[in-house]
Amino acid sequence: MTKEFKVTEVDGVQVVGEGVGFERIRRITGYLVGTLDRFNNGKRAEEHDRVKHNVSCCSLTDSRSA
Amino acid sequence: MIREIIKRDGRRTAFELDKIANAIFKAAQANGGSDYEMATALARQVAANLEAGSDEVVPTVEQIQDMVEKVLVKSGHARTAKKFILYRDERTRVREMNTRLMKVYEDLTFKSSLENNIKRENANIDGDTAMGTMLKYGSEGAKQFYDMFILDPEHARAHREGDIHIHDLDFLTLTTTCCQIDLLRLFQGGFSTGHGFLREPNDIRSYSALACIALQSNQNDQHGGQSVPNFDYSMAPGVAKTFRRAFTNNLTKAVEIYLEQEDGELMSKSIIAQAEKETGRTAAFAGGNGFDEAVLAHLEEHMDEATAQKALRFTRKYAVKETRRATYQAMEALVHNLNTMHSRAGAQVPFTSLNYGTDVSPEGRLVMECLMLATEAGLGNGETSIFPIHIFKVKEGVNYNPGDPNYDLFKLAMRVSAKRMFPNFSFLDAPFNAQYYKPGHPETEATYMGCRTRVIGNAYDPTREIVNGRGNLSFTSINLPRIAIRSHGDIDFFFEDLDRKIDLVIDQLLARFKIQSQKKVRNYPFLMGEGVWLDSEKLDPDDTVGEVLKHGTLTCGFIGLAETLKALIGVHHGESDEAQNLGLEIVKHMRDRMDEATAKYHLNFSLIATPAEGLSGRFVRIDREKYGVIEGVTDRDYYTNSFHVPVYYPISAFEKIRREAPYHALTNGGHISYIELDGDPTQNLEAFETVVRAMKEAGMGYGAINHPIDRDPICGYTGIIGETCPRCGRREGEGVPIEKLQKLGLYRHLNSTTLGYHGDPNEEADRQVNPL
Repeated sequence: MTKEFKVTEVDGVQVVGEGVGFERIRRITGYLVGTLDRFNNGKRAEEHDRVKHNVSCCSLTDSRSA
Repeated sequence: MIREIIKRDGRRTAFELDKIANAIFKAAQANGGSDYEMATALARQVAANLEAGSDEVVPTVEQIQDMVEKVLVKSGHARTAKKFILYRDERTRVREMNTRLMKVYEDLTFKSSLENNIKRENANIDGDTAMGTMLKYGSEGAKQFYDMFILDPEHARAHREGDIHIHDLDFLTLTTTCCQIDLLRLFQGGFSTGHGFLREPNDIRSYSALACIALQSNQNDQHGGQSVPNFDYSMAPGVAKTFRRAFTNNLTKAVEIYLEQEDGELMSKSIIAQAEKETGRTAAFAGGNGFDEAVLAHLEEHMDEATAQKALRFTRKYAVKETRRATYQAMEALVHNLNTMHSRAGAQVPFTSLNYGTDVSPEGRLVMECLMLATEAGLGNGETSIFPIHIFKVKEGVNYNPGDPNYDLFKLAMRVSAKRMFPNFSFLDAPFNAQYYKPGHPETEATYMGCRTRVIGNAYDPTREIVNGRGNLSFTSINLPRIAIRSHGDIDFFFEDLDRKIDLVIDQLLARFKIQSQKKVRNYPFLMGEGVWLDSEKLDPDDTVGEVLKHGTLTCGFIGLAETLKALIGVHHGESDEAQNLGLEIVKHMRDRMDEATAKYHLNFSLIATPAEGLSGRFVRIDREKYGVIEGVTDRDYYTNSFHVPVYYPISAFEKIRREAPYHALTNGGHISYIELDGDPTQNLEAFETVVRAMKEAGMGYGAINHPIDRDPICGYTGIIGETCPRCGRREGEGVPIEKLQKLGLYRHLNSTTLGYHGDPNEEADRQVNPL
């Protein structure tokens, strides 16, 4: 059975997706986890602190227009 | 006069003088005493003191015990008193533990995983399900049992207090960690799962189905993950068999069409048989082995040359097409199965790793291409699959450079990884991996399991330095930052204390190995019973497994090198060369100690860069309680993973690789480095490749690139989602107008199954084709 999302009315407009979050897949220690909800407290804090590593020679954002 | 006493739970019970006498006698016995009369006399004295003239007293158990201590000391039985106090403390600890265990059970029962950290210890176990909770009851109960009755008290205390962490403690007396399964060997002649026998597979679809079953069965015999070291080589025969069958079937059809025969099977089978006999070859997926020509010659006996050529072209075209299709379906099914099939009573899916990349046969190449394409496509609604972990083996001359036979697959691996975070990349040319490599022997290609475990060297049997049928037995990690905090900047003290902890870990690994060794083949119906583990096929069901287990590794791990360096000299190895040198010295020392232990015990001791999922928070929690908040050391909720530069520290990808690579050479039990990329790497595969190549050139063994993969379940968009979904414009938790979804072609009618992403024509039109 496919998942059915509720249709609600907001200001007279029919909408879907109220109360539905985005799924965020992250690597935990080596495997992927479908949602941060399953992370333990320590790993949640660690994931929150992660910073990106700059690839100076060929920045990802620059080349998108290319 | 004492008639009754008050028990700990508040209930009253009849007073028995013998019970006091017995307790005193036992304490005296522990010191070599044997005078029960004396014990009874002392017990009478205790009772008399408690009564102390009153008519009716009802003492509590604690009051009686206090009085026993007093009487023993006063009457000159100091040593017996000491034993009695020890005994009393021990009983108190056991009692408290029982209470604590019941409290843990209560929380497991009545709290959801959102409130209960224990239920989230491992993110791949769903602690909210019935079976997940049952598993946790077992796990928590087992840990307390071992703590009280099995573990050496010194090891138990070190674990309890957070000096060391005995991983998978709940399985201490039960099994070993993981195994690299040689499917090729397992499939020969078929195998039994312990619940039923399966024939040797004859089609790529059955090859892939049986691969899943093998991984699942073995997962239930061990507490860690399962890995296939040679997935490409293992599946290739399945493709070859599928092609042969498809070739015969299509030749039959060709004969029926071009000769207008009712039933061409007899003729096609006879042609195939003759061609096989003449050439000594069989129909091959890539052709070019002379078989097709032999078939053509026989076809010409029944039809003119032009028609025979047409018939052969037809046969080959559809055989190839059907084989490709079957292989893709088989790989798609495998990915689906490995994300849905249950293991461990339904609490988990099997924790699986597939290594591949070096098989240059057309069949092996097709397997890899299809597996990666199926992974790229995603699951049912385009979701990213969580398992298996893919590890693409990178090797110069095989797939690393343009012109190498599998270079196209290396490129595909990077494209898929840029979208799905898998494959990871292992590097066979790293000197510590290259030393085992023998061309033509895939079993000598270093592979990685699960998060990072590596098993290839073999001091126990140097003629078997291979990956197949081997794995880790158990591992225990050292709390490095704790030692550093206690050193107060004294490096000599640090190394002395580190040595004491290493001694303890070696001792504990050996004690656990002794327990594991006494297990029998019948305890592991698949792992040992089916001969998956190296040399286990030589054993009978009632033989102990100790000798063959020696092919496995006993591994010491560590966590928080960065915090250790911070505590010792105020800087970590990402920010200072001095710290880097000290970091390398520390890790090299640990490795040297493992090599010494290997030589001494003739067992495979190794050093692992501990993955630390549950552990990352546990050590720091205990240390913060003990030593307070120390900046850069205990001020976060986690210790940094093994030798990694801290995740919060800004550093370029290449500098991070340069800093971490030397640790890969030292950690022979396993390692991995991560690079976090910003933005959508599918838009810049060049940058992605630069990072992978930098890892390889720096001499790393194993690396992976992290990037955000978000998904909006409403419109199905997969990519990076910030505040709003780039496809439908929805904000987290808010609704999106149906009209908008309809315009995007994502919604047809109320509760229709078309809700969610089923193909966005605009997006698909933009996709770049990367032909193989």
